[in-house]
Amino acid sequence: MKENGKRLKHFLFDVLLWTYAVTSLYKIIYQNYILQVRYLEYHSQEFIFCLIAGAILSFLFSLIPQFSIFQGFSHKTNTPYLKRPYFILFLFILIITFINGIHFSQFSLREFFSESGMDGAKRIFWSLLHPNFDILGESLKAAVETVFMAFMATALAIPFSFILSFFAAKNLTRSSLFFKIIYTSARFVLNGTRSIEPLVWAIIFSVWVGIGPFAGMLALCLHSVASLSKLYSEQIENINEGPLDAIRSTGAHPVQVIWFGVVPQIILPFLSFTIYRWDINVRMATVIGLVGGGGIGTMLMQYQGTARWNEVGLLIIIIALIVWAMDTMSSKIREKIK
Amino acid sequence: MMLKINNLKKIYPNGHQALDNINIEVQKGEFLVIIGLSGSGKSTLLKCINKLHPITKGQVVFNGQEISSLKGEEMRNAQSKMGMIFQHFNLIDRKSALTNVLTGALHKTSIIKSVFELFSAEQKEKAFEMLDIVGLKEKAFERVDNLSGGQKQRVAIARALMQSPSLLLADEPVASLDPATSHSVMDYLKKVNEELGVTIICNLHFLSLVREYAGRVIALKDGQLIFEGKPEQIDEDWFRKIYGEKAKEVFIK
Ligand SMILES: Nc1ncnc2c1ncn2[C@@H]1O[C@H](COP(=O)(O)OP(=O)(O)OP(=O)(O)O)[C@@H](O)[C@H]1O
Ligand SMILES: [Mg+2]
Repeated sequence: MKENGKRLKHFLFDVLLWTYAVTSLYKIIYQNYILQVRYLEYHSQEFIFCLIAGAILSFLFSLIPQFSIFQGFSHKTNTPYLKRPYFILFLFILIITFINGIHFSQFSLREFFSESGMDGAKRIFWSLLHPNFDILGESLKAAVETVFMAFMATALAIPFSFILSFFAAKNLTRSSLFFKIIYTSARFVLNGTRSIEPLVWAIIFSVWVGIGPFAGMLALCLHSVASLSKLYSEQIENINEGPLDAIRSTGAHPVQVIWFGVVPQIILPFLSFTIYRWDINVRMATVIGLVGGGGIGTMLMQYQGTARWNEVGLLIIIIALIVWAMDTMSSKIREKIK
Repeated sequence: MMLKINNLKKIYPNGHQALDNINIEVQKGEFLVIIGLSGSGKSTLLKCINKLHPITKGQVVFNGQEISSLKGEEMRNAQSKMGMIFQHFNLIDRKSALTNVLTGALHKTSIIKSVFELFSAEQKEKAFEMLDIVGLKEKAFERVDNLSGGQKQRVAIARALMQSPSLLLADEPVASLDPATSHSVMDYLKKVNEELGVTIICNLHFLSLVREYAGRVIALKDGQLIFEGKPEQIDEDWFRKIYGEKAKEVFIK
């Protein structure tokens, strides 16, 4: 019974794999590369044909031992890989996948080495290497804006994440149903918030509070709360529970238990995560500027929009310097407080 | 009567029954030792007495008060009158010996004050006194992660004494210490018992220590109480009953 179930599962996976292979062979390799069809159209009948072909292929392969791919991989033998038929078939599908990749990413050496393209690139690189220092004052102001935007985002995120992290820690919330519900909802909200990129949050907030550093700050802050709470709560889940028991056994109030039993164990890792977060936020702040989050990113977007590459060159140098400085500083500090 | 345990039963949330139908009476000033194989339920029993774990069934009467049904502030009030020490000391590593001892007074300190570690002058004085009792006054400002195992356990005793407990629960207090240090820590417990009149319930592994320090002994096996009596009464027969046929006694000097 269990054997049969496994067999069926392998067969179904094989069908998926071969349907994929047949579709790619037909659409990408045959129609695109051999017939050179200019605009590929995707019809559902075609897909059903491919599915049937895939199923027939998998069925045939499942009749011959050693030809079913999923079955092959789930068995252990000592035959060298290149002597196993299913492995050769697997390599074949891998090659098809690479061809697909080249097709979909519009990979083209011709474009890369084209005369006019190379000229354009040369011109830009030349300008980038000759930054325009006339806008130095203005760009430094924007850079300061970016760093402080990241700083505020991190600082504001600390108290929220600190409190949230206790509710998102499994070991502190398993005592009652009430806390379990809080734990589950806290995790859910945090994961949801985190899975939306700060870039998207920035777009939302720039509609809400207007384009500028404040929107960027809010976006970064929200994302920081979500990430920091997760890191913090993982740290809380890894603490030694001995001191917790000991403090609890003295008849201390739950708040005191957390303050004396948990906080001393997590304070340094928290600090370290927070500094690292600030570092990340500075990098993100520049990117967020590109969609109107203010600071040096916004400036970069404006100058590249008008193709003023000398100015862009200066901005890139400043961004690189800031990122480098933040990176060194944060790793030095984190090294110290380990 | 200091403590009376009636028909105590403990089933862990995973369904494991760790204690079954335990009945124990403890008089004031006793030095009661609990022995038994690993997994027999010794730690569970202490944690049920002190309500670190909820009790499944039965009663624990402490100083005339039924405590197994207590919750919240009333439960914490009862807990504050029992000190507890642990095999792995369970101190706050990053804090000084003095602060660790002061955590024994948390129950009597308001939350706000304790968050800023604003303990009163009397409390600090008392903490010094407790450290003095365990001979560690000069280590008061040392961070406890710089102390030796024996010293850590003595800080833990001082922390428990800080609660002015009438009962002290000790869960294998010397299991992670070498023989000489074990004796010194046990001597401090004996001193606490005899000079301060604190009732002690202590889990121990080594019978030689049991014979030296116990006033009365209780043995657990698979969560059931199978022996109760004087340490001298544990002869070869009982020994095999408690620890199994193949067991051999190990002496610690
Ligand atoms: N939190 C828990 N959840 C589930 N089962 C537990 C839990 N704690 C202990 N147990 C089980 O209860 C039984 C008794 O455990 P307990 O820790 O009281 O034994 P012990 O006598 O103190 O042993 P040791 O000498 O090793 O400390 C063991 O079988 C253990 O596996
Ligand atoms: Mg134990």
